[in-house]
Amino acid sequence: MATLLKVLGFSLALTLVFTLVSNTLPQVEGEAPVEQEIELGDLTMDGFVAMGETLFSGKGTCTLCHNELGRAPDILALDMIETSRERMADARYQGEARDLESYLRESMVSPEAYVVQGFGKKGSKDTESPMPAVDKAPIQLNPIQIDAIIAFMQAKDGNTVTVALPTDAPPDETAGEISPGADAAPAIAQSPEEAIAKYGCAACHTVLETESPVGPSLVDVGERLSVSEIRESILDPGMVIAEGFPPIMPMDFGDRMTAGELEMMVRYFSGDGR
Amino acid sequence: MNKDNAMLVWVAAFLLSMVFFYALDLGVMGAQGLPLNFDLTPAQ
Amino acid sequence: MPRSGVEVRSRAMPFIAVMVFLSWAGLSILGPQFAASPSPLDALIPPVMADTSTQAATENLTPAPRPGPSDYPDMGVSSRSLVWVVAQMHLFFAAFVLAVPLFVLVIEWIGFRSGDNRYDDMAHEFMKISMSAYSITALFGGTLAFALFLLYPHFMGYLMRVFDSQVLVYPILFFLESIFLYLYYYSWNRLSRGNAKWLHLTLGLVLNGVGTTLLVVANAWASFMMAPTGVDESGAVTGSIWEIIRGPLWNPLNLHRFIANIAFGGAVVGAYAAYKFLSAQSAADKAHYDWMGYTSNFIAILAFLPLPFAGYWLMAEIYAYSQQMGITAMGGILAWLFVVQAVLIGTILMAGNYYLWSGMSRIEGPPRYRGFTKYIAFVLVVCFLIWVTPHTLILTSGEMAALGGSHHKFLGPLGIMPAKNIAVNLMLVFTFLSFQLYRRADKVITVSWENRGNALMSAIYIIAVINIIFAGVYYGYFTNTVYKVGSSVIQVMSTLTVIVSGIVIDTLMFKNAGTLKARWGMVSDRSQYALFALPVAFTWLMALMGYVRSNVRTHWHVYSIMKDNSPDNFIPAIGHAGNMMTMVTVMFILMVLFIFWISSLDKSRIR
Repeated sequence: MATLLKVLGFSLALTLVFTLVSNTLPQVEGEAPVEQEIELGDLTMDGFVAMGETLFSGKGTCTLCHNELGRAPDILALDMIETSRERMADARYQGEARDLESYLRESMVSPEAYVVQGFGKKGSKDTESPMPAVDKAPIQLNPIQIDAIIAFMQAKDGNTVTVALPTDAPPDETAGEISPGADAAPAIAQSPEEAIAKYGCAACHTVLETESPVGPSLVDVGERLSVSEIRESILDPGMVIAEGFPPIMPMDFGDRMTAGELEMMVRYFSGDGR
Repeated sequence: MNKDNAMLVWVAAFLLSMVFFYALDLGVMGAQGLPLNFDLTPAQ
Repeated sequence: MPRSGVEVRSRAMPFIAVMVFLSWAGLSILGPQFAASPSPLDALIPPVMADTSTQAATENLTPAPRPGPSDYPDMGVSSRSLVWVVAQMHLFFAAFVLAVPLFVLVIEWIGFRSGDNRYDDMAHEFMKISMSAYSITALFGGTLAFALFLLYPHFMGYLMRVFDSQVLVYPILFFLESIFLYLYYYSWNRLSRGNAKWLHLTLGLVLNGVGTTLLVVANAWASFMMAPTGVDESGAVTGSIWEIIRGPLWNPLNLHRFIANIAFGGAVVGAYAAYKFLSAQSAADKAHYDWMGYTSNFIAILAFLPLPFAGYWLMAEIYAYSQQMGITAMGGILAWLFVVQAVLIGTILMAGNYYLWSGMSRIEGPPRYRGFTKYIAFVLVVCFLIWVTPHTLILTSGEMAALGGSHHKFLGPLGIMPAKNIAVNLMLVFTFLSFQLYRRADKVITVSWENRGNALMSAIYIIAVINIIFAGVYYGYFTNTVYKVGSSVIQVMSTLTVIVSGIVIDTLMFKNAGTLKARWGMVSDRSQYALFALPVAFTWLMALMGYVRSNVRTHWHVYSIMKDNSPDNFIPAIGHAGNMMTMVTVMFILMVLFIFWISSLDKSRIR
């Protein structure tokens, strides 16, 4: 019994040493990147450059490699305009950038286009770049974020920023990130034609200028159905299926349409106000 | 063994080892695509 | 003397088993050659499972799922913590039960060839310990499967879709493992004489073949999560199962885990031996368990020496796959973990060395080589301190202003890889020196070329040490990055040269050597605590490194393919991680003590 206690005590004490070591080191949590809401209306150039600076050491993870340890060019220490000029003038440069801003953009999204001397993958004689494309996973910066970083790289040494401030919301990323709260609500349709396009009626119904055999034609539906029947057909398609047609009409228009949109379409199809 | 013989043995042992490790250095770096000059400085 | 038919057949069995195993291994390595056309192994899969053509046609377009934060089931406790604990416990026990049969087979073989029954008895005793651990492994495995399917259903659904029928291979292998494990253990005494021993050894060989296959099958899932292959950017399956399995990290992980399992298994059975030694009453028992402890330490340290190289290869492949992932691990947010790793490996090496030095007192006569001990200890301590020195210091802003930055002028350079590589390689060289001196301590060399052999061995040590330091300092600090990284291979090869030449020269030099008597059992109680320090440190280290492997994916279930959107998708602080590791280590220690106790309940002495 004494042996057991001594052995157990020793083992637990040693484990405690390891625990203490890990608890006395700097405690840092790494948050997963969350989509930032970009308030485009109030954005100034200073704000845009600041956003680029945050991205540079944040989501862009640039500082992992671009630092003074020599794995990649130390961007923060170099004048990036000067440097870009030198790089493009290099005989080895085979990329397609014609000005300094597009050189910077090319370096970020197509790093394989040109590898700076001494920074290539081991054994590839500087022909292969170890840098990942920043617009793809795992970094996945959108065009506005890339522009912000370029603006930062231009501004930090006092050079002119040539990047324009963004005015539109960024297009949907090809990777389709889940971004809580960042999806803007789709705009409410202002006309029947807009509503028809928005809800994809033409996919199955002959309507407006297109034809489709999947569902009944809507061109003259006002002569076949009453107003309340048209409304019911949109909200509860399963109630009455037209003969000879498959029962595949979406059942969730009631959840997706606004009352205004619904009424507008009902009036349109029934022939009122045409 | 007399002292001279022992000295010879040790010198030979050291020379052999130095040659081996010198060849190792050149060979291993060369095999990785990182050639060295004969004075062991990088050739690239 | 003419061999009987029975004998010939018995002796042929291990060769047949080896051929089968090599073919299996060869296919797995060469498998991707057949990637474009169906693999020959597909012929072994029943037609129902092999008809993946229609599946592939639809699955071709199906990307990885994208669960949102609210799609993850919530059990009221942190899912990540739950899976972490269960997975780590499963891995501890799995490593143990896979490792023990490996060295048990070797020990049994040594006993068979030398005719010394002690080896056979010890092998049998090691297997007894492993048997009790086997069902605990399975229990944790089942619990892990439930936890994963319950808490991460989208991810598991995706993984099942990617790996498809390969997943079924795993349970089939478990049936085989169980069959051969029970056969191997329970037939031990019955198949111990003459030709039957060949059959028994074959059973052990097949058992190990199945166990190793289990390891590499499971490794494919882990390596796919880190470096996915055979799928496109959206996660849709585009490649064959071989392309999916054989990613860039699969074989480095296989090698590292295979060797590490052996070291870990040796350490755990060493703790068993130490425990029995300390509680032994008779001199005979003390001698038996002292010898068992020595053998276990031998296995653990011998397997441990090549581990840093296997780990280095794994890390190098991670860097080659994604420089970003590599730097996150060693230069970014996870970098402090490697300082903790230095503490653990320092513990392991110092405990292992201390045990060897203590053991020299077993040998009758004046203590030889004792003088070397203090120099070896000095080198080990200095190297350990260098290894544990961080690059970025923990400073308050006032201290940082006084220092002029976060890096110390002199200590800063010790914080980067070249210094670490010098330190690690020297620690391994000097640990091997302890090893070599211990093995020589009880020998009286009789070969005529003794002086020449010793001169050569000494020269190799000295030049290797100089080479390691030169390569680290010159290429590490005075040339560019690629040469710096490449020079670490020089260092590794120098260390391996010392180890290999040491083994070769000693084996030749010990021919017809006289042996001084070793008094088994005549060793201090203190030395046995070194045998406890080893498995405790190994266990905590395994938890630490498993945490790194898992965390280096950051917020991805499958790196760059399937994002982790669960509430736990952040990287926890290192203190929290350390607490989790301590929890699993303590759980493991308690369970292992339970297993030791269970094994000793069966009082039938294996003699």
